[in-house]
Amino acid sequence: MVGLSAGEKQFMHGGIAQDLRSDGRQRLQFRPISIQTGVIPQANGSARVTLGATVVIASIKAELGKPAPLRPDKGKVVIFIDCSPTAGTMFEGRGGEELSSELSVGLQRCLLGGKSGAEAGAGIDLSSLVLAEGKICWDLYIDGLVISSDGNLLDALAAAIKVCRFIFLVRFEISSPWQVALSNTGIPKVSVIVEASAEDQLEVNVSDEEFLQFDTSGVPVIVTLTKVGRHYIADATSEEESQMSSAVSVSVNRHGRVCGLTKRGGAGLDPSVMLDMISVAKHASENLIAVLDSEIAAAEAAEDDGS
Amino acid sequence: MEYVSSLTGFRFDGRRPNEMRQIRGEIGVLAKADGSALFEMGNTKVIAAVFGPREVQNKSQQIDNQALVRCEYSMANFSTGDRARKPKGDRNIISYSADHGSKYINTFDASFSGKNLKQIDIFLQVLQADGGTRSACINAATLALADAGIPMRDIVTSCSAGYLCSTPLLDLNYVEDSAGGPDVTVGLLVKMDKMTLLQVIALMPTFFFFCCCICFVLLFV
Repeated sequence: MVGLSAGEKQFMHGGIAQDLRSDGRQRLQFRPISIQTGVIPQANGSARVTLGATVVIASIKAELGKPAPLRPDKGKVVIFIDCSPTAGTMFEGRGGEELSSELSVGLQRCLLGGKSGAEAGAGIDLSSLVLAEGKICWDLYIDGLVISSDGNLLDALAAAIKVCRFIFLVRFEISSPWQVALSNTGIPKVSVIVEASAEDQLEVNVSDEEFLQFDTSGVPVIVTLTKVGRHYIADATSEEESQMSSAVSVSVNRHGRVCGLTKRGGAGLDPSVMLDMISVAKHASENLIAVLDSEIAAAEAAEDDGS
Repeated sequence: MEYVSSLTGFRFDGRRPNEMRQIRGEIGVLAKADGSALFEMGNTKVIAAVFGPREVQNKSQQIDNQALVRCEYSMANFSTGDRARKPKGDRNIISYSADHGSKYINTFDASFSGKNLKQIDIFLQVLQADGGTRSACINAATLALADAGIPMRDIVTSCSAGYLCSTPLLDLNYVEDSAGGPDVTVGLLVKMDKMTLLQVIALMPTFFFFCCCICFVLLFV
């Protein structure tokens, strides 16, 4: 997609070797990141993250569902990423599907520990989503949309998911049908009837007045290190990504634990370089988490002032 | 259901029957596109991106003495109240978006000199759908085309109107839109005072139709 002349390539490689990239950043420096929360009022949580010229929107919707039979004590999380053609003409029609599915899989692996993971939920605590074991749980639908693309989409999407100030209905009361009359009095409630089976039909009352703030502080951030030439860089632009030999995405949570790892790109990596990259990514993630925290605090303060 | 209060004459969301929702437009929201715009009509939010004029990618599509205008319309998964479970590849959605695309192309019959055989791509992304997405898309695309510096005969604006509770209503929101009443979307060239798009759903009295048209003439920009 990105056409670079031989001179531009040389300039970029030389800059990276001297720790001064084309846009003036150092190798491990991120672009300025800005965050807006609550951009999609219809969703339970949403955020827009702008990282340089990369713009992504993440939205989380919570719906009541039934846990999978094999994992009755866990809720479900579905991650789906879409690349909008507004990000570039290469995404028109079905052009974005390949990248979309690559990003979806990458995020699933980094945040959920993969589809097959028995203890899926390295980043998101799935057992906290269960309301009644084996019967009702919250299904989280995480949708990401890439609006404008200038590299490092995975990190931006993970950051957007992390900062989705996630609010959902908490005041659920689970009762057998004969108790409904009692629990229906008082504050106005939306009641949802979930048919579990013929005998044990459950009535769930969801209050629309009280909310639970889902704790997203445990959700990891992703730091992608892109190897260009002999060095690796953080937060690559699309020009830099066009020259990459391989990229490693490490998801790290607040406690400095690695929650997931993906490697992309054709070239192989020396294991020692890989270990080095992981420790560098861990260090970079601390800064990123600190930046996100302060941005969230700023966004919340701005919102409080507005209301 | 009472969509217009018989007591006060106000609608659900507190508007008068001939009142539009708050509109907001912003241009240059995307760094990578040649022209882009964000357009909001109440809770309906649309981003439009314009790429071009550029060389025609597929030479067989080139038409003599005309610019090739292409348009793609997509809705974000989170744009509607219920999360759409269908993936993007769903056939209905594709044909729907193709259908929409051609409508927008007809709306934007941009004027070019004969030598300018270029391609213009318009991409529309609905971020939030709360009724009137069609008109919001057209308005957003107009702004994006203007932002891209593409010469146009005139500015195309659009708005929808409906007819509920024997009252003509301007700029329907989702609740009013799904009430099943008649629904008109009109695209207008404001200065030339010409209509480029007219879409009517369901039956309606002629008199109401004229009411709608008058509403549109009073439009903005």
